[in-house]
Amino acid sequence: MNTLTDRYLAATLRSVPTQRREEIATELRASIEDMIEDRAGGGQDATTAEREVLTELGNPDLLAARYADRRLQLIGPTYYLVWLRLLKLLITFIPAIVGTVVAVIDVADGKGFGAIGTGIGTAIQVAVQIAFWLTLTFALIERFQPTVDLPGWTVDQLPDVPAHKDISLADTIASIAMLVLTIGYLPFQHYQSWVHETDGGNIPLLDPALWSFWLPALIAVLVATLVFEIVKYRIGRWTWTLFGVKALLNLAFSVPVVWLALSDRLLNPALGDRLSWLAETDNRNTLGAAIALGAAVVLVWDLIDTATKTRRQTA
Amino acid sequence: MVSEDVLKTHLQELRRGTVVVASLVALRRPDYGYALLQRLTDHGFPVDANTLYPLLRRLEDQGLLTSEWNTEESRPRKFYRTSDEGESMLSRLLDDLADVQTSITGLIQGVDR
Repeated sequence: MNTLTDRYLAATLRSVPTQRREEIATELRASIEDMIEDRAGGGQDATTAEREVLTELGNPDLLAARYADRRLQLIGPTYYLVWLRLLKLLITFIPAIVGTVVAVIDVADGKGFGAIGTGIGTAIQVAVQIAFWLTLTFALIERFQPTVDLPGWTVDQLPDVPAHKDISLADTIASIAMLVLTIGYLPFQHYQSWVHETDGGNIPLLDPALWSFWLPALIAVLVATLVFEIVKYRIGRWTWTLFGVKALLNLAFSVPVVWLALSDRLLNPALGDRLSWLAETDNRNTLGAAIALGAAVVLVWDLIDTATKTRRQTA
Repeated sequence: MVSEDVLKTHLQELRRGTVVVASLVALRRPDYGYALLQRLTDHGFPVDANTLYPLLRRLEDQGLLTSEWNTEESRPRKFYRTSDEGESMLSRLLDDLADVQTSITGLIQGVDR
């Protein structure tokens, strides 16, 4: 026999505990037949009645779960809050730390700017791993350990009203990490870039002549920005004074970069020896314009973004 | 105007526990699944088949119902009956239900409109 009822019973019984399967099967079959018979007695076609009855009983997996008193949730209310709290706690700093460490190691290995991509990729992988294993652990606890005694909540657990309401520690750490990487990269590219001379010697990406003034000046601006980030975090919120300082720092960095790029003084002329594309003046000018445009866009975007935050937080 | 969905949710919440009480009362006279379903529906306790059948087994596991197979009729049927334990549990539940009704009545009368 392979009627709809047979198939329905098989689908339901698949996931109820074995020792009760026979009994549930007999009882459920009788109930279904009672229901069909009742409808058919009312003049309904038997096949239609069967379809309607089984539709009314609904998804066999749901019915089986009710028979087995099984939880239809990955993580229920008992553990959800603990799970969420742990997840947030772990996600906020572990991926960032691992990603930064990996990026720093890569830079030390001489991988240049590619290290930032590697760092971000690693951080994302770590975050996914944390989320997966934590969730799996809690899903297992939910199923096999229904009586874990969690410490109850007490008023002592209330966190202090956060002093740093508007500027998060995570953002500050991310900014500082970016600044440190950039500051480190400027001298680094002088000794290790991905362009080499025919005899294996290194060709710096940036014009070495800039070391006489502009590169130290830019590094000084970046260090000042780093200090600014720390001060900003201590203050805890954007103010118009902070906005002014930030705008000055941004301009002090971007304007020289744009100017150097447009006047073709940023990139090392020696690059043209190895990269023939760069040997042509037209191409150099195009690249310079692209760098200048990029720097300008970042500058304008950052100013608008900061102004928006400042207006919201001073309101 | 309250939305139908909200109303439905609240009615469900209100009715949820009463199915157990109604079943324990009805099964003072032994009955099998589908017959009980019809009796409850006739007496104003509409309940879904896929809720009632597993519920009966659960109440049996908790010792509130006893069961017996009847194989005399055309198909074997499992008859449930409220056990002594079920009966004492039922009286507690009925008391509580009455308390709720009393409290609500008192509250309604006490509130100035």
